[in-house]
Amino acid sequence: MWVLVLLAAACLIAPLFAGPAPRQSQTGRVGAEITFNHDIAAIMFQSCATCHRPGEAAPFSLLTYSDVKKHAHQIVDVTKSRAMPPWLPEPQELKFADEMRLSDAEINLIERWVEQGTVEGDPADLPAQPKFVQGWRLGKPDMILTAEKPLVLPPQGTDTYWNFIFPVPIQQTRWVKAVEIRPGDKRYVHHANILVDRAGASRKRESEPGAGFGGMEIRIESQVFDPDSHLLFWKPGTIPYVEPEGMALRLDKGTDLILNTHLQPSGKPEVIQPSIGLYFTPQAATKLPMLLQLENDVKLDIPPGDKNFLVTDEFTLPVDVDLMAIYPHAHYLGKDIQAFATLPDGTKKTLIHIPQWNLNWQAVYRYAEPVLLPKGTTVGLRYTYDNSDQNPLNPNHPPVRVMGGNRSTDEMCHLWLQVLPVNFDPSQGDPRMTLQEALSRHNVEKNPADFEAHYNLAAMLQAKNNLDGAVEEFAAAVRLRPQDATGNNALGAALVAAGHPDQGAGYLQAALKSRPDYFDAHYNLGFALAGQNDFEGAAEQFRLALQLQPKDAAVEANLGVALAELGRYPEAKTHFQHALQMDPEQPIAKENLAALEKEMRAH
Amino acid sequence: MAWGKSGSRMIVVAMAALFSCGLVGGQQARDLDGHATNPFTASSGKIVVLVFVRRDCPVSGRYAPAIQRISKRYADDATFWLVYPDKSETPQAIRKSVAEYGYQLPVLRDPQRELVKLAHVQITPEVAVFDRNRHLIYDGRIDDWYIDLSRARPAPTTHELEDALHAAMTGGSVARNEVRGVGCYISDLD
Repeated sequence: MWVLVLLAAACLIAPLFAGPAPRQSQTGRVGAEITFNHDIAAIMFQSCATCHRPGEAAPFSLLTYSDVKKHAHQIVDVTKSRAMPPWLPEPQELKFADEMRLSDAEINLIERWVEQGTVEGDPADLPAQPKFVQGWRLGKPDMILTAEKPLVLPPQGTDTYWNFIFPVPIQQTRWVKAVEIRPGDKRYVHHANILVDRAGASRKRESEPGAGFGGMEIRIESQVFDPDSHLLFWKPGTIPYVEPEGMALRLDKGTDLILNTHLQPSGKPEVIQPSIGLYFTPQAATKLPMLLQLENDVKLDIPPGDKNFLVTDEFTLPVDVDLMAIYPHAHYLGKDIQAFATLPDGTKKTLIHIPQWNLNWQAVYRYAEPVLLPKGTTVGLRYTYDNSDQNPLNPNHPPVRVMGGNRSTDEMCHLWLQVLPVNFDPSQGDPRMTLQEALSRHNVEKNPADFEAHYNLAAMLQAKNNLDGAVEEFAAAVRLRPQDATGNNALGAALVAAGHPDQGAGYLQAALKSRPDYFDAHYNLGFALAGQNDFEGAAEQFRLALQLQPKDAAVEANLGVALAELGRYPEAKTHFQHALQMDPEQPIAKENLAALEKEMRAH
Repeated sequence: MAWGKSGSRMIVVAMAALFSCGLVGGQQARDLDGHATNPFTASSGKIVVLVFVRRDCPVSGRYAPAIQRISKRYADDATFWLVYPDKSETPQAIRKSVAEYGYQLPVLRDPQRELVKLAHVQITPEVAVFDRNRHLIYDGRIDDWYIDLSRARPAPTTHELEDALHAAMTGGSVARNEVRGVGCYISDLD
């Protein structure tokens, strides 16, 4: 059975920063002169130099007195406005790891230092510079992947969103403990996300192999229930995140990693050629997190001039989870971004609050400690959008009506939560499927016209062997997109599985009408025809499937079965043998070849 | 200096020349070969635009294509000069940077900040526009592209430098509610 689960592609890892230098002072000595060496250097080392040093993302260094003095008033401006260090969330009860936020006292100290004349002070007071790791932060990776073709970023124009494809040259499944993204020249890459493409779907979007492709938001189809589980994210200052005990990212043979980058022109042409370092572990993952996506793009229809357009979404968790990380996402009209959790006892917790959204500094935020959200907790998002002329980031002047969509001038209302199901009974099945089913049901209720929501719900029901439910939801999906090959194929396959090959065949034929080279549909139609004792027709479909994927042992075996049913034993035998050459353990070929040889001997 | 055409204008020019001499006379700006260079006498009676930039100022860098574009558009009427006020920036480093950004403009170093004072600028990048009579008619930002150091508009919605150039060409006036640039403070330099 071929099931296609469409899941929104998502992203990755939170920033961890180099070990803090010991702080000398946050408020300065009472009555004493504020000096760089005594008071300011430690703040710069801890909160600025992670990026503001040679080879890093920031445009100038802040390591020495003379570095800092040359930008002193600028530093006062950006710290007072909290533009720097770039940290968007408000302080809250649930703490984030690696919070990059200066205290009010530190900001005040910097300002007073500059007002007093940027005094250097006694060299004896200067703390030692932190020791920064050069090159790969976790040591040499086990595997380094480099983009085949660099991108030449033009000197001017709007921001560029570019996707680089990295095939992973592995022959068997490997588990990844950490991923380090080196985005090329860090000064021009605003952020980057890795998406895992297990089906080679993104390669079809390249103009030529290795060229990569443009686009701010991408979606990746997955053929089985294999939910995205890791947030692989880079922004300036990020050092690689090492997965906690029991967690790892699975990579199979044939997997591609897609690096989605946001690039900003610098004024001169720049050559961007990213690389990715993989650190493997022999330990297969035992804890399987999942990315839950809250969203409500269908509600995004923002009138021009509206300063405060509100969108919400709420979802009630069907299982206990530990919330590990959160990743809000909106485009240039996003204003006030909030997410919250209402626990079953009524307690309300703020998960994140960004009062002044800035797409340029979007990030994955990882909680300092996992946040337990018991079954019955409602998680919600509450985003506002400013589509007026007073929003200087508005891409349209004058403002125009803006809808949800993938282009940077469209809007988005997304929130990813990385959750790890806890306190579950493994004999009751994979709790992530329970989550996915509930989420798909929620999406269907929220937007009955959402093809993917019906499709995903159907796939979950089918995986739980609720075939009638699956047929109903696939049928709803097909009613929304009658020509859709994927939808017709899935509905046809579900009907065959539910014992209605005659009904299934029609949808499979519709799928092939839309996409004649659709391997899955030929294969499924072969079964549907065999189920109606049309073995000639079945054999023909399996042959067509074989033309598309000549190395598929299961198709060879099924073709053998159809031919055997037609009494064409020698031909059938050849196909069973082909199947076993490809896969000596192919069960259908093994069993039927033995039966066939017995039958041929008997005659 | 052949910038006057009519008799009545000559008087104005004479006054402007006197006025300018006091400020411009002792200036210590140097070209990248170390020669003392006066952008006003070297601009053949055209409008003079001084563009103040720093190599370590990312906003300066991002403005390079706009500066180059505007300077080309007004090349018949105005001479643009890139001015580097940081005395620690060497001619070699500046030359390399100018080539990387594809600038085709004459370059000055202003280690004594004579031009900075004359132009009243405070930030890089900022511009100063002197009309043909060497009156400073505008100093401030190029346009409103940047809102602050972490936010830039998709495209500028005001164009102060070009407005000032039009005023200088037509003899019109510039609204003097000048707006400072977003970028790096020149006063922070040694």
